[in-house]
Amino acid sequence: MSRFLFPRWSNALLPTLMVVGALLPLYVVMFVAYGFSPKTLEVGYQPQQPVPFSHALHAGQMGMDCRYCHNTVEKAAHAAVPPTQTCMNCHKWVRPESPKLEKVQESYETGEPIEWIWVNKIADYAYFDHSAHVNRGVGCVECHGRIDQMEVVHRHEPLSMGWCLECHRNPVDNLRPVSEVTNLAYDQRTELSLEERVALKDLYHINPSENCSTCHR
Amino acid sequence: MPSLNPSDSRPEAGGCGDDRPAPVPTRRAYWRSLDDLRDTEDFRAWMHREFPSNADLLEGDDRRHFMKLMGASFALAGLGATACRRIPEQKIVPYAARPQERIPGKPVYYASSMERGGVGQGIVVKTYDARPMKLEGNPAHSTTVGGLDAMTQSEVLRVYDPYRSRTVIRDGEFSDAATFDAWMADHGIKLGGKASGTGSIAVLAEASGSPSMTRMRQEFAVKFPQGTWHEWEPIDGDASRIGTSLAFGSPHRPQPMLEKAEVVVCLDADPLHGHPAATRLSKDWAVRRRLDAASPADQTLSRVYAIEGVLSVTGMNADDRLVVRPSGVAAIAGAIAAGIGLKVDGLGELSAGLDLEEVDAKILAAIIEDLKSNRGTSIVMAGEGQPPVVHALAAAINVALGNSGRTVAYTADSSPDRKASIASLVEKLNGPGLDTLVIVGGNPVYDAPADLDFAAAMGKASHVVHLSFDVNETSLASEWHLPRAHFLEAWGDTTAFDGTIAITQPSIEPMMDLAQKGWSGIELLATLAEAEPRDGYSIVRATEALRSGTSGGTFEAHWRTILDAGIIAGTEMKMETPEGFDTDRLAGAVRKHAADASKGSDNGLDFQFVSDSAVYDGRFASVGWLQELPDPITKITWDNALLVSPSLCREQGLREGHMVTVNAGGRSIEAAVFPVPGMDTKTVALAIGWGRGEAAGPVGDNAGFNAYPLRTSAQPWIISGATIVATGAKYAFAQTQDHGALDALIESVPEKGIQERLPTLIRETNLDHYREHPDFAQHRVHVAHRLSLWEETNLDGAKFRWAMSIDLNTCTGCGACITACQAENNIPVVGKDQIARGREMHWLRIDRYFKGDNPDRPDAVFVQPVTCMQCENAPCEQVCPVAATLHDKDGLNVMVYNRCIGTRYCSNNCPYKVRRFNWFDYWRRDPIREQEGLFAVKPDYYTSGGPDEWRRMQFNPEVTVRTRGVMEKCSFCTQRIQAAKIEFKNQWARNGGAEFSPDWSIPEGTIQSACEQACSTGAIVFGDLNDPKSQVAKIFATPVSYQLLEELNTKPRLRYVARVSNPAVPLGPPEEAHGDDSDSGHAGAANRDSQGVRA
Repeated sequence: MSRFLFPRWSNALLPTLMVVGALLPLYVVMFVAYGFSPKTLEVGYQPQQPVPFSHALHAGQMGMDCRYCHNTVEKAAHAAVPPTQTCMNCHKWVRPESPKLEKVQESYETGEPIEWIWVNKIADYAYFDHSAHVNRGVGCVECHGRIDQMEVVHRHEPLSMGWCLECHRNPVDNLRPVSEVTNLAYDQRTELSLEERVALKDLYHINPSENCSTCHR
Repeated sequence: MPSLNPSDSRPEAGGCGDDRPAPVPTRRAYWRSLDDLRDTEDFRAWMHREFPSNADLLEGDDRRHFMKLMGASFALAGLGATACRRIPEQKIVPYAARPQERIPGKPVYYASSMERGGVGQGIVVKTYDARPMKLEGNPAHSTTVGGLDAMTQSEVLRVYDPYRSRTVIRDGEFSDAATFDAWMADHGIKLGGKASGTGSIAVLAEASGSPSMTRMRQEFAVKFPQGTWHEWEPIDGDASRIGTSLAFGSPHRPQPMLEKAEVVVCLDADPLHGHPAATRLSKDWAVRRRLDAASPADQTLSRVYAIEGVLSVTGMNADDRLVVRPSGVAAIAGAIAAGIGLKVDGLGELSAGLDLEEVDAKILAAIIEDLKSNRGTSIVMAGEGQPPVVHALAAAINVALGNSGRTVAYTADSSPDRKASIASLVEKLNGPGLDTLVIVGGNPVYDAPADLDFAAAMGKASHVVHLSFDVNETSLASEWHLPRAHFLEAWGDTTAFDGTIAITQPSIEPMMDLAQKGWSGIELLATLAEAEPRDGYSIVRATEALRSGTSGGTFEAHWRTILDAGIIAGTEMKMETPEGFDTDRLAGAVRKHAADASKGSDNGLDFQFVSDSAVYDGRFASVGWLQELPDPITKITWDNALLVSPSLCREQGLREGHMVTVNAGGRSIEAAVFPVPGMDTKTVALAIGWGRGEAAGPVGDNAGFNAYPLRTSAQPWIISGATIVATGAKYAFAQTQDHGALDALIESVPEKGIQERLPTLIRETNLDHYREHPDFAQHRVHVAHRLSLWEETNLDGAKFRWAMSIDLNTCTGCGACITACQAENNIPVVGKDQIARGREMHWLRIDRYFKGDNPDRPDAVFVQPVTCMQCENAPCEQVCPVAATLHDKDGLNVMVYNRCIGTRYCSNNCPYKVRRFNWFDYWRRDPIREQEGLFAVKPDYYTSGGPDEWRRMQFNPEVTVRTRGVMEKCSFCTQRIQAAKIEFKNQWARNGGAEFSPDWSIPEGTIQSACEQACSTGAIVFGDLNDPKSQVAKIFATPVSYQLLEELNTKPRLRYVARVSNPAVPLGPPEEAHGDDSDSGHAGAANRDSQGVRA
């Protein structure tokens, strides 16, 4: 039996392996750094909701204020998802027969709540308070994006701690007059000068804390 | 499975025996326990280590078990990883129709009330999204006045108890409410007398002050003219009613006004803890104990004398303790009465046999002297466990001294004599023809007087219906068991100790199937009496409409007012102020008692029943929080114990945990002994309510020893002539008295160590010394330098500087703060085995110190709550490798759970020993007594969402639930601080921000930590040091405010107010002035050493 000879093409294998071996650690690092980042994992999360509610239609086309439904946002930590009752305030009269509203009608009649899928969810050990932000000129759009253009809501920002801190460390760019908080089309970076934004910061003593106890309890 | 109790493998500890050579340094000015006094190995282990040896090791088979588990958990983790989604799907479940003004996630408070032993406690229920989460005291209520005791607070855990009864049971078979209602309707007609009158009916009810219950009782009497009504409560209050009847002719309830009393004489009474209105009385007592005089030279303090055989909470806080066997208290009362010149025949005979030690005789003389010179400003109180004659004498002394109307008033008490009441029921049961017995609450099979043999008598009734929260001994022996609705689930009404009516407002539906209903007492009786309406809400409203004489719109307005306030103002009973008493009747009782006492032999021991701080009369056996709350006196958790004095223990050759047979009154029980300093040497005591075996459910399963078999109608509290005989068996207690012993940090002088330090931990003196040296607390410690090895956290320019002060003068050591903290901060229950290993999770502990060198007769007892000091220069922060514990701007030492990797370095480096480590996912585990094995994990441990859905509902959503491997500690209730900050800054911003006012602020007193809120005496004060007007800033500025372990330069934000006591007969050496440097302080200590304490 003749001795086994590596075929000629295999000569290229060694340098290839060496190159791959040299690049692999870099790849793994990059893969973890970008692939596991909340920017990759969290942004764009868009689950199917039980009721095909369109923010684009309600908040966009019809221009309803966010606070008509999310009416606790100025008073509480949670910008509560509205009760079925709120939907029915209008839909008793508007398109009551629509099949899309079947679950809403059912919930209204039985009193059983609609189970929505939580999109903008942060970790259990982090305590975010909506009222602390919207009362001081941080617009809804800063975290939620153009909800008024979303047919189905998706996550617009990573909502990670690093992302929170970006703003807590440099709040000036993200401040607007309190009256414009729910105006999703408003952009303070173009509408306001830097001086005006700094004035807003001073008006509300915005000095965002980076202390752990601000968000973690 | 090897034993889990570390004490089995360590040299025997906790003893009072003298077979080991006494350690040389016996001088101990202050000591935590007998082990500390004797400086045992065991104590040193607790003191020097965060956890004693082997506490953190796996033993024997556990190692194999551990490997198995780890294998399984890795496998499960792999399984989990493959199945994991990009984002775990979580639901938002909004209301279908949100109640008006309800904001999800914002707490809503309801004023309500509850009753225990017939006395109403006013509460405010804090609910999150319709779940009751925490109970707080209602400041408007006369019994709770804003504070709340541990037992009442723990009721919120009880409502979620996974083991509570949720079904109707008939003869051991599950049934439902409809079946019972049908049976009752049918049976009720039979009994009603209308048909044939074939049977008779009796009701046995718990004590209740509920006006609706009274009305239902009347309805019952109308429906069943032949029916009888009985009342039973193990902690019965009979002696007080009989005693006041002797004095005044009719039963009365003394209403002490301790805030007006200069001299308080407690004849075995425990106004600060055991008393039904202890929350109120502690607050009143504290008024005269605070160091609040404008000038220290003008400071006055009330003087509390405790005359008792068993150390009580009042005894710990008393200025003078006269130690006497419980049966001898009557003689003392007689001597006091005679001493103040009470003209009653027989007093001489009563106090004839009195043979007091020298010191006690001095105290007795001082009591008489003080009472004589404080006419109208003194009060004599008699304890629950004392015979009627003592109560009568106390009343007579109060009247004679002119205290009646000044420091004490009396209200009529129409409650029946409960022992007589249950005895008449038993008589009826044993006679012919009792058809139906309806038992509303309670557990008479377990706790009725032993001589009545209630269980056997009950068996003779044809039908027994028992309404009960748990399936207890009585339920098991009844035909029908009905699940009772908790007071957080049902409407009701109560009367406070002074008679003020309060409405019980539910905050959640009964947590059981609709088919099972969940009755309240009044609803069951309405069903029984066929009264209309039958639902609790309508019954209570009807009662109140009748009482107030209003209807329609007026009533609705009134109803809203009383629901909102939590009380019905102006309904307190009439305060009577008797001017005289019946001398002859009193003399008769005195002579009779004297004659009876002289017949009894002096030999043998006094056996005393005491009411328990945890389980009360046994009803709270299933409440993990109370089981785990260290007893204020003994620091035992999860058990009771036969309390003995150290010298009795030694005489009998016993040690802690040795089992003995107690023979008393011709009956016997077995119990394990536990030596307690300050006990009378001829007295043993056992708390009632324990030893229920399996009937107590998995939480209290086999906990403690049952005292009820010894308890008879004739001798309900004290049995003379008892003996104890060792059985040779042993029992292991899990007690915390040496846990968290502060360490000797000066390594080079370990033998000095804690002894040098203790006078600096507890700084105390007497009133005379304080008046001359108001800065005495400042000179107890030598601070070598104030240089830090570390770069100190820069806290300049902080808007707030949170701080806390704990006043050792007004802290009674009751433990209400611990339970409040537990409820607020989601602190888990760990179980007896874990406690024995020093793994309790309470963020707040109460250290207890005895003073003096005689274990039988400590000079004084001190309590000191210790929690995280929020050091500005925190040692824990320096050693954390992941920066999981660091400072925030306000000066709080914060613990970041999501960063913590569990090295435990911080805990090891904490000189105050206040950090707690989650050895397991305690929050997932059931709060039961014994866990199966060291790990006690169920197969679904890693995959399931957590514990029983019921109990999870109690968690405070504002506080993270900590997982295994995470360190935790007191946060000064940072969630409350954040909530207040957000609220007030929002308000300010909405008003226009800086254009409205220059800056925002939080008004003083807005933020209360949970412990502060529960404390009725106001010992704990929390606030902002940046506000010079805040209470805490003012206290910090006084010279009596001191830091714990100041010499370590940790700069704690928690300081103590040094204790000043006011003894008439100071024990121990006289206070000497302390110099400015350390040497004289040390010399002072050494001086005490040589002097000894008392002959």
